[in-house]
Amino acid sequence: MAMVVAAAVFLRWLPHHGWFVGTLVGGAIAAALAINLTQKHRFHRAVRGINRETMPPHIGSTAAVAASVVVLALLGIYTVLFLPLQP
Amino acid sequence: MPENSNTGAKDARGRLASRLLRGGTEPDPRFTLANERTFLAWIRTSLALLAGGVAVEAFMAGLLGPELRKTIAVLLLVLALVIGGGSFFRWLNVERAMRSNTPLPLPLIAPVLAIGGALVAAIMVVFVIARPA
Repeated sequence: MAMVVAAAVFLRWLPHHGWFVGTLVGGAIAAALAINLTQKHRFHRAVRGINRETMPPHIGSTAAVAASVVVLALLGIYTVLFLPLQP
Repeated sequence: MPENSNTGAKDARGRLASRLLRGGTEPDPRFTLANERTFLAWIRTSLALLAGGVAVEAFMAGLLGPELRKTIAVLLLVLALVIGGGSFFRWLNVERAMRSNTPLPLPLIAPVLAIGGALVAAIMVVFVIARPA
């Protein structure tokens, strides 16, 4: 949900910075979609883990979420610093 | 009963997890889940900073000069970057500490967030005071 909100805020940049912002919006939406689609799987894995009293850490999904936020922030910095404002 | 009764779970771990989280024993799953929730809270903070940076750049065009606007936006976006990346390493270090039954590490991203937030707030306070009426 926070990713969707971030994508919605990125939309505000679209008239100012042009099509490049579309990659930010698309990236945030894709990350939100991936998180939402795998939510059920993660929930069942957590339930099984609690039931068996042991649960391997979700290192891949954790790293993917952190990486997507880092990439979005990098693209945001690039947009502010290097993309000229369009009239 | 031996301390580590979860040897089967060790095999269930992926290659990446086995490589990054070597040794130790599987902690209580509730602690692992609590660590994940804390990680997600940091990620939400990072996304809020990201949205804040975008908002400053997009909505304050009439209020702030272009240089000041750019500085605050970049500061917020860098803060989002550091918090987003740092939250993963915090999660990993806490997971390692729980596996090896050692004290939890101090979150280094907490003072970074505090100092960064205070810096942005200070810039805004100076701007509001110095701005001609």
